[in-house]
Amino acid sequence: MIEFTLNGERVRTDAAPDTPLLWVVRDSFKLKGSKYGCGMGQCGACTMHVDGEAVRSCITPLAAVQGESVTTIEGLGTPASPHPLQTAWHEQSVLQCGYCQPGQIMSAAALLAHNPNPSEEEVEQGMAGNICRCGCYPRIKKAILAVASDAAGSELAEEVTT
Amino acid sequence: MSGVNLSRRKFLTTTGLAGGGLVVGVSLAGCGASRPPVTPEAGSFVPNAFLEVTPDNVVRFFCPRDEMGQGVTTGLATIIGEELDVAPWNMDIVFAGPHEEYANPIFGVQITGGSTSVRGHYLPLRELGAQCRDLLLQAASRELGLPVGALATDDGHVVADGIRRPYGDFATAAAALEIPEAAPPLKPASAFKYIGKDFPRVDGMAKATGTATYGIDIDIPDMHHAVVKRCPVVGGTLRDLDKAAALSAPGVTDVVEIASGVAVVAKEFWQARKAADALEVDWDLPELGGLSTADIKADYRAAMENEEGLVAEEAEDIEAAMADAETVVEGQYWAPYLAHAPMEPMNAVVRIEGDEADVWSGTQGIGAAQGLVARYANLDKDKVRAHNTWLGGAFGRRGTLTHVVEATQVAAATGKPIHLLWTREDDIRHGLFRPASLMRIKAGLDGEGNMLTWQAKRVGGNITPDTIANAMPGLLPTAIGDSVIGLAVGLADHAFGGWVVDGSSVEGLFEDYEARHVDVRHVTRDHGLPLTFWRSVGHSYTAFAKESMIDELAAKSGQDPVAFRLRHTQNNPRLNRVIRVAGERMAAMHPAPGRHLGFAAHHSFSTDVAEVAEVSVEGNEIRVHRVLCVLDCGIAINPDIVKAQMEGSVMYGLTAALHGNLELVDGAIRESNFHDYPILRMDEAPSVEVVLIDSDGEPTGVGEPGLPPIAPAVANAVFAATGRRLRSLPLRLS
Repeated sequence: MIEFTLNGERVRTDAAPDTPLLWVVRDSFKLKGSKYGCGMGQCGACTMHVDGEAVRSCITPLAAVQGESVTTIEGLGTPASPHPLQTAWHEQSVLQCGYCQPGQIMSAAALLAHNPNPSEEEVEQGMAGNICRCGCYPRIKKAILAVASDAAGSELAEEVTT
Repeated sequence: MSGVNLSRRKFLTTTGLAGGGLVVGVSLAGCGASRPPVTPEAGSFVPNAFLEVTPDNVVRFFCPRDEMGQGVTTGLATIIGEELDVAPWNMDIVFAGPHEEYANPIFGVQITGGSTSVRGHYLPLRELGAQCRDLLLQAASRELGLPVGALATDDGHVVADGIRRPYGDFATAAAALEIPEAAPPLKPASAFKYIGKDFPRVDGMAKATGTATYGIDIDIPDMHHAVVKRCPVVGGTLRDLDKAAALSAPGVTDVVEIASGVAVVAKEFWQARKAADALEVDWDLPELGGLSTADIKADYRAAMENEEGLVAEEAEDIEAAMADAETVVEGQYWAPYLAHAPMEPMNAVVRIEGDEADVWSGTQGIGAAQGLVARYANLDKDKVRAHNTWLGGAFGRRGTLTHVVEATQVAAATGKPIHLLWTREDDIRHGLFRPASLMRIKAGLDGEGNMLTWQAKRVGGNITPDTIANAMPGLLPTAIGDSVIGLAVGLADHAFGGWVVDGSSVEGLFEDYEARHVDVRHVTRDHGLPLTFWRSVGHSYTAFAKESMIDELAAKSGQDPVAFRLRHTQNNPRLNRVIRVAGERMAAMHPAPGRHLGFAAHHSFSTDVAEVAEVSVEGNEIRVHRVLCVLDCGIAINPDIVKAQMEGSVMYGLTAALHGNLELVDGAIRESNFHDYPILRMDEAPSVEVVLIDSDGEPTGVGEPGLPPIAPAVANAVFAATGRRLRSLPLRLS
């Protein structure tokens, strides 16, 4: 039996410890937002956060998250209460088929958490592990930079008002 | 190379969805005038198969086309919403089920592809929207006791002096009215509120929050997961199988032999996958088993030299005309087999209960999914409920539904609801492919630099026979047996092999520029890999050959590549204008030192596109920094989505231009996943500027025409940078 925290809730499962986290989350916990794309950590469609770090859940065995805190796209935001990246994705029509986008957004959220004000090149490097077959890269990049600069702007505004 | 009367043309135009006409003729004969699969809520107004207005004011749009990312839900909701006067983002958009009412107006069957959706539905959906609004106004007029002339509408509301009432208030009354034969007059373009305006896609938030349901996400009670072990060589058959080890693996419930291999069924996907990987199977290999890409290339080269080929376009005496030319240039071009590799691998969920069944799958033709389940589970079509979902990419791949056949066979054999998922390895190695092509173009200029001759030949496989083989079982009535279908496929094979050219094999190789003598031939060479349409179909390789040759002709005769193209498109004003605008912008691009520009233009799917690529070459590495894309697609329903399609087509085309290659080794595809079939990533992606030519013409294709010019634009820029003509895809300098 393996226990971990999934989107803030303690969960336990008797799935085999070598089962990739992706399939445990999708099949046992029925959270379908994280996607299977390659099964070998090449495309990033399965990206989740484990203790705040972006990981490829398709090659992360369940045993590796014993006691850890896992966040999926469902834990990042919802249509009623979206994360700023999700709002930007919607408002700027970043996506097309959308299948890779939960993974893109989870990678982007981790990137901004570590580097709130990335350069264009840092975004390109940081997002190079996520494949988008529809070719939304220019919009993904633009949206991340816009969210970063909005956040910087609002922090500045906070500083000014306080 | 149009507008020339010295040529005769002999090919079947089956662009986009090859064989459509043939399929239509027979399939519709099997359908009755049944009711569309719309179950209205009590008191709803359902004027047609596409719209429902409920008393509590839900305006529901049954979207007849499939959303694979191209933005069709937003686009079609905009078109019908414009005349209905409801904002697209305020509609409840659902995927229409299988029914003849939802046939693609261009193909006559319920298929999404060929960049046809907006073209085909632009007028019909506007008329239906206008008709619905008209009836709501009549009902409102009676209820409010005001003349129709005193009423107006605004985003789902009837408005008059001091009155603003939602459409839903009049739904029940409108439902009692007789629907007139003729549609009311449509709005002039000057009155458009939604068409031609930018606003966010309707599917953005669902997809950004992971709440949009794709086929892979379907989860039903007692669902079991199936993974298929396949012969490494297409067409191989099972010789020997040891089921014991797999059956004793954790979670595994069944091991089933099906037409395409051996299906391992387990309670969880991962259990099925592990057991399938460990399964020991002996296969009898087909003839293809001895072949490698080098053999196929050698065979194509020999055919190019030795066979005259079928005539697609015939000049009376091309050799004599060529002898009159002052400058003659010849080039031979190669394009490899490619996989589509949409991000969501193929999958289907099938549940058979007694004489009924359900199928869920994201498809480019949900009617075919219904037909396939009926055929392979021996059920009446009417007893199969087919549910479409969002598609995680398609690019032509989701027009062929062998995964639905497999899920049906496994569900029938095990009696369990089955979720069948292709692995990425299955997707790269065992799908259907963009055909490999060898093309040769020989062209001659007169003393003034005018194009006198254009002689082109293509060697390769045809997509139409496989398309018919895969489409017919799903589209035809189940009473028409497999042997009849086999006969039709055999006929198509025979016809395109030795009688008439499959239009999709040569489309784009010769039509765009004016030359006095045009001669185009085709030699069919098919080594048995299954083939299908791949984003932009024949244009994906013919534009590379044609635009590389045009660039070379301009360079060899000392002419500016844009001026040369303008000079030879005098009778083709739409393409000419796109080239001129792109040329003017190219002149203003001023690339930094070390960067070079390449130009290409192409007409496909009724749309004209010109692209400029800004490229640098360091060592053997080709980097594309910036792309300009100018297009005329008629009126743009949502200009921002059109731009997104151009950006995406450029990226998809760049993956093919810089990386895309499947190599056959002893009959098996060598590549297997994204580590050896690389896809363009963000750190290689250029910026893309899209310029839409302002137009109020009828809308034309958008999903595909941005792709064909990018590979030749890059190749032409590489020539500008290095002086080397790269004539093989993917482009390699080493």
